[in-house]
Amino acid sequence: MNSFVFLLLILPMVGALLAFILGKLNSRLAFWTAEFVSLTLFVLTLKLFVEYTQPLDIAMHWFSLGDFSIPFGIYIDQLSLVMLLIATGLGFLDVHFAHDYMAEDPHQPRYYAKVLFFIGGMILLVSAKDMISLFTGWEFMGVASYLLISFWHEKKDPADAGVSAFLFTRFGDIFLFAAIGILFYLTNTLDLMQLNAMARAGEIDQHKMYLVAVFIFIAAIGKSGQFPLFPWLMRAMEGPTTVSALIHGATMVNSGIYIVARLFDFYVAAEALLVVAAFGAVSAFIGATSALVQRELKKVLAYSTMSHLSLAFIGLGAGSLAAGMTHLVNHAIFKALLFLGAGAVIMMASHVKDMWRFGGYGKKMIFVSIAMAFGALSLSGIPPFSGFFSKDAIIATSLANPQTEGLIATLTFIAGVLSAAYISRLWFLTFAGETRDVALYEKVKAPSFFWITLPLLIMAALTLFMGFFQEDIAQFVSGSPLDEPHIPGLFFGLLSVIALLGLIVYYYYVKRLDITQKIAAQPLMKAIHTLLFNGYFIEFFIHYFVREIVVGSFARAIFWFDVNIVDAAVNGTRSLSLKVFKHLQKIHTAYASDNSGAMLYGIVILLLALFIGGLL
Amino acid sequence: MIAALFIFGPIVLAVLLALFLRGENVVSKYSALALFTGMLGFSLFLLQELPERGYLALGSFLEVSKFDFVLTLQVDMLSTIMLLLTSLLLILVTLSSWTMERQSLYFSLLIFFSGAIFGVFMSTNFLWFFIFWELTLIPMYFLVGVWGAQRRIYAAVKFFLYTHVASMFILLAFFLIYKESGLFDMSLVKEGMLLSPVLIWWLLFIGFAVKMPIFPFHTWLPDAHVEAPAPISVLLAGVLLKMGAYAMIRMVILMLPQTSQKYAWVLLLLGLVTLFYAAFMALYETHLKKMVAYSSISHMGLVVIALATLSYSGLSAALYEMIAHAFVIAPLFLIAGFFYHKTGSWQMQDMGGIMQKAPYISALFVIAGLGALGLPGTMGFIGELSVLLSSIKSFGLWMALVALASMLGAGYIIWTLRRVIYGEMSSVVAKTDFRMNRVEFFSLILFVFAIVFFGLFPNLLFEYINAAFMQFQSIGALQ
Amino acid sequence: MITPFYILLGFGLLSIVLHRTALLKPFALTAFGIAGSVSFMTASADLKLFEIIVSSVLFAFILHEQEDITITQTLFLGASSMLLLESDSILSFVIAFESLSLISVILVSYVRTKDEVEGAVKMFIASALATGFLFLGLTFYLMGGGELQEALHPNATLFEMIGVFIMLLALFYKLTLVPFHGWAVDTYAKVSHTNAALLSGVAKTVAVVAVFKIFEPFLALHLSFAVPLFITVAVITMTFGNFLALFRKNIAEILAYSSVAHAGYMALAFVAVSSSYAQDGILYMAIAYIFMQSAAFLILDTLKKSYAIVSLDDLHGFAQQNPLLGALLSIQLFSLAGIPLLAGFLAKAVIFYAVVDSGLWWVALIALLNSALSVAYYAIIVKSIYFEDLKVKKLSLSNRTTAFTAQLILVAGTIFFGIFAGVIL
Repeated sequence: MNSFVFLLLILPMVGALLAFILGKLNSRLAFWTAEFVSLTLFVLTLKLFVEYTQPLDIAMHWFSLGDFSIPFGIYIDQLSLVMLLIATGLGFLDVHFAHDYMAEDPHQPRYYAKVLFFIGGMILLVSAKDMISLFTGWEFMGVASYLLISFWHEKKDPADAGVSAFLFTRFGDIFLFAAIGILFYLTNTLDLMQLNAMARAGEIDQHKMYLVAVFIFIAAIGKSGQFPLFPWLMRAMEGPTTVSALIHGATMVNSGIYIVARLFDFYVAAEALLVVAAFGAVSAFIGATSALVQRELKKVLAYSTMSHLSLAFIGLGAGSLAAGMTHLVNHAIFKALLFLGAGAVIMMASHVKDMWRFGGYGKKMIFVSIAMAFGALSLSGIPPFSGFFSKDAIIATSLANPQTEGLIATLTFIAGVLSAAYISRLWFLTFAGETRDVALYEKVKAPSFFWITLPLLIMAALTLFMGFFQEDIAQFVSGSPLDEPHIPGLFFGLLSVIALLGLIVYYYYVKRLDITQKIAAQPLMKAIHTLLFNGYFIEFFIHYFVREIVVGSFARAIFWFDVNIVDAAVNGTRSLSLKVFKHLQKIHTAYASDNSGAMLYGIVILLLALFIGGLL
Repeated sequence: MIAALFIFGPIVLAVLLALFLRGENVVSKYSALALFTGMLGFSLFLLQELPERGYLALGSFLEVSKFDFVLTLQVDMLSTIMLLLTSLLLILVTLSSWTMERQSLYFSLLIFFSGAIFGVFMSTNFLWFFIFWELTLIPMYFLVGVWGAQRRIYAAVKFFLYTHVASMFILLAFFLIYKESGLFDMSLVKEGMLLSPVLIWWLLFIGFAVKMPIFPFHTWLPDAHVEAPAPISVLLAGVLLKMGAYAMIRMVILMLPQTSQKYAWVLLLLGLVTLFYAAFMALYETHLKKMVAYSSISHMGLVVIALATLSYSGLSAALYEMIAHAFVIAPLFLIAGFFYHKTGSWQMQDMGGIMQKAPYISALFVIAGLGALGLPGTMGFIGELSVLLSSIKSFGLWMALVALASMLGAGYIIWTLRRVIYGEMSSVVAKTDFRMNRVEFFSLILFVFAIVFFGLFPNLLFEYINAAFMQFQSIGALQ
Repeated sequence: MITPFYILLGFGLLSIVLHRTALLKPFALTAFGIAGSVSFMTASADLKLFEIIVSSVLFAFILHEQEDITITQTLFLGASSMLLLESDSILSFVIAFESLSLISVILVSYVRTKDEVEGAVKMFIASALATGFLFLGLTFYLMGGGELQEALHPNATLFEMIGVFIMLLALFYKLTLVPFHGWAVDTYAKVSHTNAALLSGVAKTVAVVAVFKIFEPFLALHLSFAVPLFITVAVITMTFGNFLALFRKNIAEILAYSSVAHAGYMALAFVAVSSSYAQDGILYMAIAYIFMQSAAFLILDTLKKSYAIVSLDDLHGFAQQNPLLGALLSIQLFSLAGIPLLAGFLAKAVIFYAVVDSGLWWVALIALLNSALSVAYYAIIVKSIYFEDLKVKKLSLSNRTTAFTAQLILVAGTIFFGIFAGVIL
């Protein structure tokens, strides 16, 4: 059993190396290595899942720092298993999909190596027993994400996007890093389970726990693209779509939710859930509204990801581990589906991402459009698709919780229903109606069935299928049922609003596109559009802050200080010596008479010295 | 006797080689490689022979009874680790300067340096320690001054004078110690014997702070680093700075524990200032090698913070961070120097898109950079983690502030990678041929391998590092 | 009894006969060889080593020197040096001291250029003044009840004190302590470099050792008199010398000022007169200094004669032209700067320790910082030799192996006494 787990940890890393080395011989070998490795990982995970009886707990000692022992442990329970299944399962499908998507790229070995490295990081994260291994996995993913976003590093935008992704998430990460230190100081342990147990038993000071919980949550905000650290997620869309699907739709962005879920008891005891819910609500609202106006296919999905992850956070924040985690699972699958579907469209449309140049693509790629429709329905929350159950549960939970029932629940509700609007806008603009760029349309070919459509169909089936097992998923993940509080009228209210929104979008984006464009041209709408399109200018503010305040003013001031004060003091010794030199030079003439005269001064000085010496 | 041979042998050999070889004679290169390998073997041998605690005596020579002036050679775990690090770095530096111009003189100076630096780490007599300490300056002065870039003379003279002035404080402190205790041996002097430990503490602290360097005594370093040829920058960062830290541990922390306790706040404060100050400098810097130099200073700030804890774990953390710093900064310097050598520019904006031209070298640069910003799986992370944990245990919650430095680290490293490695190719890069000598490339690989290997298996190092300080805990020199 | 003094005096008188023959040089070399051996057998224990070293440095000097007249004068200078070193009463001290002054003036009076005239005249005036002061002081001393045939009276009367003070003023002239140093820099920089080597390297060093020997017992008993007096002189001298040596272009001038600065370091031995290390310190300093300063001036002589190098700019890239000579000069300069494994370092270390030992650590700190300051101008010379590019290829006019041998002897001394301190201490 243990050796299996280690295989699970080591195989992706070895696979990454192999994919790179073999890929240098023949670039297709890289793909096959990755395909094989990711499939093996999935099979291994399945085996773990099937044979699961009790949590697997391996405590290891990594190194001793003086008299401290630094652990590096593995812990796999239900929560981890579900995350593992998502990571390896979607990982496999993603690699499979990349066969065609990345077919023409000359740097495939690098690509597959990084993807496998990423999967390894994710596996490490979700099977971590302590803060150290958790942080290691966390950072592995971060760097893999950075490297994959800037995969096309020779272009300006992906390179910038990578920087943005790394720095935004890193800002969160340092709080996790600090949290490691603080926890070690407070509790002497870094074991996550033990922390939960100590929190339950009330052994830690609540205020300090609150601090730690907030610190960890900041890291989660960074990784999961929540307000205010989300702009990187939108930029990350510059990466290959397969990467967006896996990392920025389905797996890595979930890790923020995972970490809160993993330390759920800790958060409960720290009374920090309200913070989680509040930030979640703001993010959900920003994400949902901004997604409404995006032009690029992937950006809609990115904002939608942000918004839906927020829903999961709200679920946790409102106190329901089951609702949050179930939504995470559902979202992972339908978002991977949507991203890969978008990838299929983009690939077939000569890598154009602008939805306004699409239209009527349903005719050319029928299976893709159907699969995407499944994903869209699930995301909108239409029964019996999986998304409905978890979203409904989250809205209900937030309404039922007295702490969140006001503003937070309202924002949640708005975000929940708006998702129907933006996703139907996306679907209709892409697949329905008439094409808006004929030249592009002409070139579109039907995608390959085995490499492209099949993975989409599998995921589409899953979204439908999983709708029937929501209770089991909830039970398995959280150990408690999806105990949705009964809110009268919520079910029908929600459904009717969603359906109505769908219809409105259909009318304005398919039937009467001209009216829409006229409305959008009005100054007020234009202003709102600009605000939403730019994600409320959050990125602008942060960039301004970093560029002008941190670097442009603060670092510059220090630089000035260093050059003009500290170093100038050092170099000033030279000019000072020069002054002394010139001065002495003046006294010290070459005349013999002056030399003799100096003697007199000398005698006076010496007598004075003797006098002072006598006094002392 | 063998120990003395490893000090004076290289010095004599260096003089002979310099006298009899001219120009590009490769003999000195191979003798350097052979000698440094021998030194590595000798250090490993010492590691085997070390007693559980205390020193391993290697003989004493040139006795002058009147002045207690005797070349006492003895090593303990701490100095053996420094010897190992030094000889390893010397080998790697030799490899990475494989195609250096005016080889015979260059490698003679390296050999001379190796003798002096072995003397520093092996002699426990203060005066001989000081002699070797000063002696390391001479080859460095020439290496920077002859092989350096445009402002080499300014940098060499500044380096030489600045550190020499600092040494004067150290010498005065040694004199005071001898006057007050009648002993000239650092393994025998105890704080209780001294009448004016505070004065001695400050003199030693200032002297060593310049070498480490600690704010505000750091300004010689960026200049020296920038103008020195890349392998010499590695030596500066990897060995010369470590000499300062080693002396700080041995003569300030372990020899004067009570006074250090009293002034731990000075160390802590200056360590924090150094850490952040240099990080902000690196953030603003557009000169590639200066950026690396400031990041190097910033990492030394971490070492100072760890030292300030005066605890067993803190000193272990400091020593690990010292080693990590040597390995992480080295490839950054080497590659930065290589880029300069090829493109003729230090400015980041002149570069860009080098990844397209030189993917492997760029990849090594990326890994080393990630090491510098403290990515788990590299030595940089273990260093930062150790410093964070030990300092937070000693000074409380607010030391979580240290984590902020790794944000700044990420800032300057990632922006640098963006400007230099990634993005569109600049016109300068487009017409440059980035081919590298194989031996030099091999040395880079070794550095990067070490970063990852000891980042994944830090216990291989900590086993020895902990052993170096365990004995002082029981003596009571450490908390 | 045969002493080195008589041997050198005899050989000196005989050597005049051998002028313009090839035998003169071997003759003079033999003289110093014998003088050294005799010192080994007869000299008093504490000065034996120093006398041998003076002989061997003068031996090296003869190897270097080409002028017949100077060789003879060197023999006389050696003789009076030995006399001065062996003097043990006020009278013999004054006589030897004056004879050394006399021979020094004669040495520089052999003038060929206008510059040399200036140097010689200044030295002559200074010597005259010094002699005047010395005798004035002696008069006071004798008035106070001092005896000529004895060492200085330990329990001095007021007049004796005044006498000693005035005598010290005269000696400050000879030892080039500020502000009695004005003549020295001009003389050292302007007379021929070989003469400068003799004056600043040998004569001054011998004088310092002798003065210390004669005055130490007296000063050690009058610390409140000696310590403030010498702290003032030493600190002013070394600071003045070091600052004035900075930013100079003429190498001889730099060495002249460095010579003044070293006089300041030597004066520290008088500051630390209460410490048992003062004696060792001044001896070590003298031995180190006699090697490195003579060597530096002699190399400068070769540079001037063979390569026409006078200023720092002429020295640019010299290592590429004559690496060996460049290295030798650098070693001597590093020794002057106090870089370890060379005699200059240990000399400073011992003398500064003596100051610390006498409880004046702050004076030692000033001295140490001064020493660090001095590194600046030595390092600049080394910089010119190694780091700058060779601009014009200069022609070497002659290359003499004897001069080179002389340099080897001197550098051997510099290195030997930088490692084997036990020989002196």
